[in-house]
Amino acid sequence: MLDKFEKFTRRISGWFEWVGMAGLLLIMLVTCVDVIGNNLFGSPLRGTIDMVQLFQLVAISFACASTLIIGRHVKVEFLVNKLPRRAQAVTISIVSLLELGLFILIIWRLFVLAHTFQTSGEYTASAHIPIYPFAYGAALACIPVCLVFIHELISSLARVVKR
Amino acid sequence: MSPEVIGIVGIVVLIILFLFRVPVAFAMALVGFAGFAYLSTTGASLGLLGRDVFEQFSSYPLSVIPMFILMGSFAFAAGISRRLYDTAYSWVGQVRGGLTIATVLACAGFGAICGSSTATAATMGKIALPEMKRYKYDDTLATGTVAAAGTLGILIPPSTVLIVYGLLTEESIGKLFIAGLLPGILLSLLFALTIFIICLRNPALGPPGAPTSWGKKLRSLTGVIETAVLFALVIGGLFAGWFSPTKAGAIGAAGALVIGLARRELSWRTFFEATKDGLRTACMVLFILAGATIFGHFMAISRIPFTLADWLGGLPIPTMGVVGVIAFIFFIGGFFMDAMALIVLLIPILLPVLTSLNIDLIWFGVLVVLLGEMGVITPPVGVNVFVIKGIAPEVPLEKIFKGIFPFLIALIICVIILMIFPQIATFLPSFARY
Repeated sequence: MLDKFEKFTRRISGWFEWVGMAGLLLIMLVTCVDVIGNNLFGSPLRGTIDMVQLFQLVAISFACASTLIIGRHVKVEFLVNKLPRRAQAVTISIVSLLELGLFILIIWRLFVLAHTFQTSGEYTASAHIPIYPFAYGAALACIPVCLVFIHELISSLARVVKR
Repeated sequence: MSPEVIGIVGIVVLIILFLFRVPVAFAMALVGFAGFAYLSTTGASLGLLGRDVFEQFSSYPLSVIPMFILMGSFAFAAGISRRLYDTAYSWVGQVRGGLTIATVLACAGFGAICGSSTATAATMGKIALPEMKRYKYDDTLATGTVAAAGTLGILIPPSTVLIVYGLLTEESIGKLFIAGLLPGILLSLLFALTIFIICLRNPALGPPGAPTSWGKKLRSLTGVIETAVLFALVIGGLFAGWFSPTKAGAIGAAGALVIGLARRELSWRTFFEATKDGLRTACMVLFILAGATIFGHFMAISRIPFTLADWLGGLPIPTMGVVGVIAFIFFIGGFFMDAMALIVLLIPILLPVLTSLNIDLIWFGVLVVLLGEMGVITPPVGVNVFVIKGIAPEVPLEKIFKGIFPFLIALIICVIILMIFPQIATFLPSFARY
């Protein structure tokens, strides 16, 4: 059951990562078009800054879960590794719970922020792109992160109770 | 309890969370959120949490980070690192310790198009370590060299650490990039000199490689041309005012991509792998910055940075003495934290001290990067050492750390030289527009 849950989380995170990759490549593309347009033809791309901001929001938020799964985040490993196996599992359980709580709060606040953007009709400064769909997207993209922490929490708790 | 005491409690909790393996970014966000809520209101802190994450992820100035990271990933996928090593090997491989000196030179070259020390160490480790094994180089020297030389990636421009430092201190990223150039060359020479001395004392540690003809030597120079062109395009364009540092990263990434396509090194698979790798690293860095922003709000409301500035400013010691104390804090912190995380954590706290003492922030940025470099190769959290251990699992960790030691001395000498002659870092930036 736990394995199936892990596979599901990984699959979702993998799909989200593709969206993030598209966002990243679009930042590069838009900036290059702007620089070339400005330096060679004297006409920069209108709304470059707005597009870069929104694409970056998409890129980073949609890559959150995959980055977490592959363990790319910087952490201090040396102390916990020296603990006995059960103590390690207890530590990971507490830490996962804290991290889960943090991300639930982040998702909630991003949804609130997106709703505020929607109701107040907020648009980007020069290209006049509505911001709220991107903010909702960022909130949604953080959900698999919670799934990763739930999996980590359950599996570490299982190790705590296992004889 | 006074806000300052709450702030100190927050820092202690933060260190405890670090020790319990909470990622640096999440620990800073957690403590920052809780601390701000305690000192103001929970509602205000909740509002800040969502807004800080949103604003950092969608920050236009920060887009420079993903782009320079992507540039490094594409450069690796384009085979630039391998050709750099081949060139360096052709020129110095046949002298005593030549393969290790070639590794240092190749790392310096790759550092000119990649802004990450771990990426430089990993990239060069994969190429250089098998070669050194083939020529029966001592494991301690070989692994220590790659781990140490990898640190050149964050000193020689472009540098992700200097970008983050520039954003935190509001200093010109272009000037910081240029400031890292001469110290980067100096450190490369010091590393090469270290290897030369080691192999002079014990020639068996680094036997010479196969001799190369002058024809081959000259032909190998084609491997450097693309790096020179890419470096000139990015840094030269910055200098000439064609584009801002924010745009330079995207131009560099596109340039590395074009080189990969022209060289027929990039398949769809390697292209997507490189993009994925760059994206994950960028996500990690931006998360650290988001966490640091939340933590920074807590620190500001606790008034710790200002109290610290008053206290350090009032100490009866000269400015260089204060710099020495701060350098020592960075040095010790480096034992436990990654260079980027350390800078993100300490700079907002120490910035009021630095400005009140009129310390040149460009020079200090280079100094801090050098200190951070020590951190990535010293135990127990020497990230580069772990990267090399992953590439050469048969070499015990203790051996790699032992191999680092002579290079650590070279780094300390470089720091001392930079403190005595700050012009090494400040001379070139005086010509920069950005």
